[in-house]
Amino acid sequence: MPETPTPEPDPVVSSSLSRALLISALVVFLTLVWGIADETFFMRPWKRYQSRFVDKYTAHLKRLQPAQAQGEEGIHKTATYQKLAQQIEEAKKQAAPQRAAINKELNESIRPRLESLQVKYQEVRSHIAALTYELETAGGEGSKKSIRADIEEVRKERHDLDLVKADGSGGVERQEWDFAEMEREYDRLKQRRAELQTEVIRASAPVSALERQRDAYVKEQMTGLTREQIQGLLNKMDQFPSDIKQIHVRQIDLVDRCESCHLGTREPVELTKASLGEAVFAGHPTRDLLKIHNPERFGCSPCHNGNGVATTSVIKAHGYYKHWLWPLFKQENIEAGCQQCHVREIVTDHAETLNQGRELFRGRGCNGCHRFEGFDREPELLQAARQQMRQIEMERADAEREMARTFQKIDDPKTPLEEADRLKARADQIRVNANRMNERLEQLDVQASNLMREVKKIGPSLKEVRVKLRKEWIPVWIKDPHEFRQTTKMPTFRLSEEEIQAIAAFLWQSGVEGKLADHPMGNAGRGKELFETRGCLACHSVGEGDKLMGGTFAANLSRVGEKTNYQYLVRWVHNPRERTRPYCALEKKDLGPADYAKAGKPFRFDLANAVCPNDGYTLQVQQMTVMPSLRLTGEETRDIAAYLTTLKRPEASYAAAPYLDDPQLKQKGMSLARNYGCAGCHEIAGLEDEGRIGTELTKEGSKPIERLDFALFGHPAKNEGWYNHKGFFERKLKQPDFFDQGKVRTQLERLKMPNFHLAGPEINALTTFLLGSVESQLPETFHYRPEDQRRDIQEGWWIVRKYNCMGCHVLRANQPSVFMTLPRYQDPDWKEQLPPQLVGEGARVDPNWLVRFLANPALSESDTNRNGLRPYLKARMPTFTFSEGEVDKLVRFFMALSSQATPYIQPKLKLEQLSETERTMARQLFTSKGAPCLKCHATGNAAHDARATAPNFLAAKDRLKPGWTYRWMLDPARIAPGTSMPSELFRREGTRWVFNGPVPDSFKGYSKDHADLLVRYMFQFTPEEIRRLGGGVAGN
Amino acid sequence: MDWAQIWEIAVTPDNVPITALLFLAPFYTWYGLRQAFANDRLIAQLEASPEMAKTHHRKVQAWKPGWAREVHTWPYLLRIEFLALLIVTAILMVWSITLDAPLEEPANPNLTMNPAKAPWYFLGLQEMLVYFDPWMAGVVLPTLIIVGLMAIPYIDANPLGAGYYTYRQRKWAIWTFLVGFLGLWVSMVIIGTFIRGPGWMWFWPGVTWDHDRLVFEANRDLPDLVGITSMAGKSIFGGFVSLLYVAGAGWAFHKLITRPGFNRKIYERMNILQYVTMQLLLILMLSLPMKMLAKLVFRIKYVWITPWFNI
Repeated sequence: MPETPTPEPDPVVSSSLSRALLISALVVFLTLVWGIADETFFMRPWKRYQSRFVDKYTAHLKRLQPAQAQGEEGIHKTATYQKLAQQIEEAKKQAAPQRAAINKELNESIRPRLESLQVKYQEVRSHIAALTYELETAGGEGSKKSIRADIEEVRKERHDLDLVKADGSGGVERQEWDFAEMEREYDRLKQRRAELQTEVIRASAPVSALERQRDAYVKEQMTGLTREQIQGLLNKMDQFPSDIKQIHVRQIDLVDRCESCHLGTREPVELTKASLGEAVFAGHPTRDLLKIHNPERFGCSPCHNGNGVATTSVIKAHGYYKHWLWPLFKQENIEAGCQQCHVREIVTDHAETLNQGRELFRGRGCNGCHRFEGFDREPELLQAARQQMRQIEMERADAEREMARTFQKIDDPKTPLEEADRLKARADQIRVNANRMNERLEQLDVQASNLMREVKKIGPSLKEVRVKLRKEWIPVWIKDPHEFRQTTKMPTFRLSEEEIQAIAAFLWQSGVEGKLADHPMGNAGRGKELFETRGCLACHSVGEGDKLMGGTFAANLSRVGEKTNYQYLVRWVHNPRERTRPYCALEKKDLGPADYAKAGKPFRFDLANAVCPNDGYTLQVQQMTVMPSLRLTGEETRDIAAYLTTLKRPEASYAAAPYLDDPQLKQKGMSLARNYGCAGCHEIAGLEDEGRIGTELTKEGSKPIERLDFALFGHPAKNEGWYNHKGFFERKLKQPDFFDQGKVRTQLERLKMPNFHLAGPEINALTTFLLGSVESQLPETFHYRPEDQRRDIQEGWWIVRKYNCMGCHVLRANQPSVFMTLPRYQDPDWKEQLPPQLVGEGARVDPNWLVRFLANPALSESDTNRNGLRPYLKARMPTFTFSEGEVDKLVRFFMALSSQATPYIQPKLKLEQLSETERTMARQLFTSKGAPCLKCHATGNAAHDARATAPNFLAAKDRLKPGWTYRWMLDPARIAPGTSMPSELFRREGTRWVFNGPVPDSFKGYSKDHADLLVRYMFQFTPEEIRRLGGGVAGN
Repeated sequence: MDWAQIWEIAVTPDNVPITALLFLAPFYTWYGLRQAFANDRLIAQLEASPEMAKTHHRKVQAWKPGWAREVHTWPYLLRIEFLALLIVTAILMVWSITLDAPLEEPANPNLTMNPAKAPWYFLGLQEMLVYFDPWMAGVVLPTLIIVGLMAIPYIDANPLGAGYYTYRQRKWAIWTFLVGFLGLWVSMVIIGTFIRGPGWMWFWPGVTWDHDRLVFEANRDLPDLVGITSMAGKSIFGGFVSLLYVAGAGWAFHKLITRPGFNRKIYERMNILQYVTMQLLLILMLSLPMKMLAKLVFRIKYVWITPWFNI
């Protein structure tokens, strides 16, 4: 039989998809597992961090515990602790019976009875309360009446109660009470319980006080945590919940989850990288900062930047990816975060790198090209004041015109009487307003003339080149200032030869003409000695490389003899503020003798004669330099100038520069000087009103990265990982024309910023400063803008930096002044010659005296060649010619640093009047052999004062504050560590201080404080008393 | 050859679907056409032998005896669909786990992104802006595209090819579609994604996207090229040129659709309204590649300048 061919199976129907289905189902399942794993494990690295932390921290604590326990044991063995423990035992024993009695009554009688009554009572009470509610909310009087009846019923109902007996026997009595009776008993029991509880506390009070004392003692003596505290931490680790730890500050929408991984940040135990082995668990350094800036209020990311919200990876959390615009600050730039809130300051505590950056910005003259809000405010304030004055003058003119019109109307016979009266009143009003405007104008004028004095330029005035400089030196300097003087502030520009020649020619030809006085040559040998001791080295330096000696605030003078002439140096050293010609800002002209002759006036100008003969405008009569006058005698000045002219390299030679007189180069040079922004740092004739040529840097840290011109380095920067602000700033500061590399540009198109030859740490400090200069995301309330005394501290530091007070004086703890680094002052004999330290100056001196002193440190109009207070110091406190505003700010600064109240009212009158006996006693003590006072302190007697090394006592009553003087005499080393004033001059006897040496017989039976006696004596000095002490006339 | 640049563009999460499109569009075009050619072969076979036609009908696979005439949706279709579902789910899971939706920096109205690109479905329009003015490229042409797509069922006079792939019977439609879709849509999207870089400048693949790149491209208008300066003159000249183009394109399309064979049959079935509509739409469609040619190769910007519109 022929077989039917087996039919071919229909592929659609017969194909089995089971294998494909199985595989794809498995694949889907695996992706699901992967998804879950990704979600719970990979994307939540903080879980692993937390479990590691728990393990490592527990181990660390367990290691720590025995040592701490041992330390604690040691404290337990000390005498104080033992005594306290014993006292506690005794007190406990004493209080025990009373406590026992009270507790007995409480626990055996009151409490059980209360408990047995409570339930029923509360039940009935709540029933009544519910009915009362119904009563209050019931509608009509009828329903109220019925509810009232219900309430009465409930109250009257009697209940069976099994109450524990009140006698404490434990027995139970049966009572049948209504609500009123229950309530009475309940209240009674509760009251009794409260009474007993207060009694218990009172009885235990001495014990708890002693226990507190004991715990405080242990806490004081203990370094680190006690064993119990560590145990507490271990318990915390046992129950450690694994979750996101976040700080949420609502008002600024801040969410910071940093602590989910950085778990050791606020742990009470000090953790370093070594403690737990991982840097992430290290504790926050400088815990003081966390006390000032509580993370619960500030979070972490406002200071550190980074992406506080992110938790999925370290890169995301630290913000080191393309789309997070505020990446975490690196360790070396961490202080950048301080700048956004502390933007007013130039000195911020705990932020030394930032402070250095700010000081570099200010001191190196970055401000000459780049505006930065807060730096160099004086010219802008001056302009604002002038504008305001002009505006008020216009308003005043309007007012006067209106007054004239009003008077016209009043005088008009056609005006009715009432109208005339009204107009008169109006005229008076206008007059008063005009007067107010005059007052304001006067104040603004004072402000403006103050500001004129305060405006300073970073570099020397180039109007003086013709009288000051050797002309051949100018192009050499412009070519490369760094070559001539390694430590100069002036940066090196990238100029072609023609440009240098043109600029030099322009400067030479635009300088003012003038004649210098002709002085005879001084003695250079004496001059060297004077130079090294009068204090010049606090700002200036001599010597190069590692032989450099002195401060870096001002120029290094090793080669000054090559550039300038003797006569100019004499004028300069005598008074640096003296200039050849005054400048009138209105006419934009340096006035010469001819201008003065036209107005019939002699060619004389100084601070007292500062009015322009042509238009009455205020002239700039000073050189805009911060260098002060040291009040030297003519001879001293000539000697120093002679010494300076010897400072030169004998082999240095200068090529002739005839082009300097070429008039054709002048115009070109001027436009080049304008192009390169020379007037930003120097005063130049014709360019006095030039603006700054660089970008404003106030918010440079917030500049979108796309606006920073990486030129051809965009892609390499992205690939190498420095395509961010830090990368840009660092490279720019190191080599300002870095981003010009590879570009084809004409000379004038190239980047203009010159090279400042900054060292690595300086670049880092400036980068930190710029990174922090951002548009703050925090609201104004978070910024540090105090309006109280702390503002005075902020303002004061600007002046301190401006005039380099810290070159001579110590103003902050652990800050060496430049003086202290000089080799001469390492000799112990010269230590006494150091200028006084000013920490606590506000607490020490009367601010009124300080104002006088700062205005004229000689404290005399006639005898100026001296220090008014410490004539024995060779170093000279200079006359800075501060404006009134600056003096005011400085005095407030010192007062604020010492938290002194303003205004200061001399408590002289509060001092107990000295009796004659006391005066004699004090004098005898003072002059006795046992008292060392007169060995050091000056008295005004020239013979005695030749060996004096401390201020004159007569100055005390005007200068010092009695409270400070008292504290000073008792413990000078605490106030000024290292002072020569001896300590332990007094010892404590009961409640008073007694002189710690042989006292004169007149002191027998004297029961009052000796130190206070001496203070009163000093503050009630009379001139005859001083004479009696053996002095002459003491200058003050 | 900057491979890093190519990689960076290709794996930007927003661009990943377009990278996929680079492979998927040609693949599915090929897949569909393959089926169409297979169908065409079958059709030819059936037309050649009327006997077969009776039994084989129009099937992709020849029916064999013993098979069911129809198969049930459940389970046969649905199980295949389920497999597809599983595979697509797996792909989606892998995609979502590996690629996160991008969260970029906070929007800053003062700082626009460069390049500021539209989402992919508008990239074609953004590209058209290079060749047409905003009125044309943003309003007129898109409207006409939509209107044209809606009009297709009404001007499609070809009754064949419904429900099965075929090339021979649908040549006109397939070519129109491929040119319009792949040529004028997908390729615009791809150009917009991969070629257009900062400043909307043309960057060949492998060239680094340099934001500071400067190119010199002096575009000129056609009337200026010929020397016409007055506005009236430009309007008239432009109108003339456009008319020339319309006439030329219309003649070309007419020639194409009246070619002997299938096209002719379609042509004969069309009524005048359908024909005119089809011509208009095709002429408008062709204007884009023409303008692209003019701009990219001949640097000609506008052809017809009037006070009211520029083309």
